[in-house]
Amino acid sequence: MPSTTPTARADFALGGTLGAAHSAFTLGFRRNLANWPVLMGRALFYLVAMAVLTALWDKVSSQRLAGTLASSLPQGGLALYVGVTEWITLSVASIHLRLEDDIRLGMLEPHLLRPKPYLLQKIAEAMGDSAARLLGLGAAALLALAMSGRALPPAIAFLYIAILGPIGTALGVLIYAGVGLAAFWVRRVLPPYIIVQKIWFLLGGLFAPISLYPAWFFGIAIVSPFAASIFMPGNMMIAPSLAGFAEALIAQLTWLVLLAGLVALIWRAGLRKVLREGV
Amino acid sequence: MAIVSVENLRKDYRYVRRKPGLSGLFDRDIRTVHAVTGISFEIAERERVAIIGPNGAGKSTTLKMLSGILEPAEGAATVLGFVPWKQRRQLAYRIGVVFGQRTQLWTELPARDSFALLRRIYDVDQVTFDRRLHQLVERFGLGPILDQPVQRLSLGQRMRCEIVASLLHGPSLLFLDEPTIGLDITAKAAIRDFIREHAGAEGQTVVLTSHDTRDIELVCDRVIVINEGRIVVDQPTDQLRRQFLGHRLVTLRSAAPQIALDIPGVIRRTTEPHLSVFEVDTRVTRVDAVVQAALAMGGIEDITIEDPPMEEVVRAIYDANSAR
Repeated sequence: MPSTTPTARADFALGGTLGAAHSAFTLGFRRNLANWPVLMGRALFYLVAMAVLTALWDKVSSQRLAGTLASSLPQGGLALYVGVTEWITLSVASIHLRLEDDIRLGMLEPHLLRPKPYLLQKIAEAMGDSAARLLGLGAAALLALAMSGRALPPAIAFLYIAILGPIGTALGVLIYAGVGLAAFWVRRVLPPYIIVQKIWFLLGGLFAPISLYPAWFFGIAIVSPFAASIFMPGNMMIAPSLAGFAEALIAQLTWLVLLAGLVALIWRAGLRKVLREGV
Repeated sequence: MAIVSVENLRKDYRYVRRKPGLSGLFDRDIRTVHAVTGISFEIAERERVAIIGPNGAGKSTTLKMLSGILEPAEGAATVLGFVPWKQRRQLAYRIGVVFGQRTQLWTELPARDSFALLRRIYDVDQVTFDRRLHQLVERFGLGPILDQPVQRLSLGQRMRCEIVASLLHGPSLLFLDEPTIGLDITAKAAIRDFIREHAGAEGQTVVLTSHDTRDIELVCDRVIVINEGRIVVDQPTDQLRRQFLGHRLVTLRSAAPQIALDIPGVIRRTTEPHLSVFEVDTRVTRVDAVVQAALAMGGIEDITIEDPPMEEVVRAIYDANSAR
């Protein structure tokens, strides 16, 4: 049974690496489905949160304060916007906690003894987890929307969101991966997690479109990965357009590459530390 | 031919002790621990070697350096022709590793799913994977539990799954770090039997660390004793057994305040009221003879048979070598 090849196999072969990442994705997806009561609970929370936020934004919208929200936003659009932003944020897997556990408790060691890149495997696993959440919460949202009798945006908006939503979630996974890797230095990632999460919600426009912010603040928020992650997909519910979609897609893909690079750099620095100092 | 070659390997850990209070922010006390202090040895193909020693002796540090997840401060090593800390991923295809206290499985999912992912991670073709998995599952009797989430398995069942996971890619060399820790006697015996038989049949080399002297006696044919980062003894297990491993501790809980056993090769270690501990030299008297003698006296409420603690064994070895 022992391997008879005297030299290493082509361990960096892209096909093998991507194949393993695909398996990790599937495993993450299946793990989430295996924990279906948690997924159901998350969907229930999503619907309750949406019921509250929808009531709030419908009231704001109905009062139509002159010069503020009224002119630029369609009736009921804010509720749908928040539906999308919440869908994305609630679908982002808690990869930071898994990375923290592995690093802090020494569970990283068995993973480092494998021929495929640990971080890619973990991110793929988290993406699989997130994909299951996107499907579960998405189905709940569509069902609730159909039952609500609310006026729907054009069908094309749903197609845009079906593309931008998962990419926005992937950006969230990468942001949280960066937070999780902080465990190499700070051991507990709760403090950086809380800070990053609040900034994400604020600059991403979780509860209100950043287009409603003062111009100077909008200028800052719009060039952040947080806006690309949730505002841009959510905005497709308010102002769907091919140009807006294309712009959002370019911003998301750019941030995907930049964040992946940043996370890889943090990982390499952390790995050097672990190989030198031990777990 | 040596497949593991270690020369003057050394590893130091540095850690910071902060002083209490605000001054600790600026006044840091950096300390160095010498975990491994220049060890050298070779391991030949198909050898089964135990690396033993008390806690903090440097066993796990050595194993981590040899498997590539820790860089040494000094020294050289090759494992299967690779420098482990420089060619970690290439080496990973050729070694299997089990950490007794760390799982490599995905605990929320059935072991079968973890195995399937490991197949992709190690680029094992489906036919070979199916054949190996079938053999290992049959050998370990894992069929009924293969589809249960790992977190619901007993420690013994989980450890058997861990060993299967470490063998699916057909490694030439196995690193086992405390593979029987926390297991009951039956589970320990099953794992020891398996490791010995499997390694023998497949021609695998085994490097094992353990606190349990029975792991060493029953699995390994050579023992390297490490203490305070240095190799104290490196000799065949038979030789070590004759000198140091042929002892058992028999603890008797009795209705009578004290039990007296006058048997050759049996000495009293400690006595508390109703509790007597005897050390049995098994080269002179078998343990069952001691138990029978005790039971014949009547009033025995409980009997425990244990190996002497590893710390004692190592101390005895260390003392014997110092006296030479």
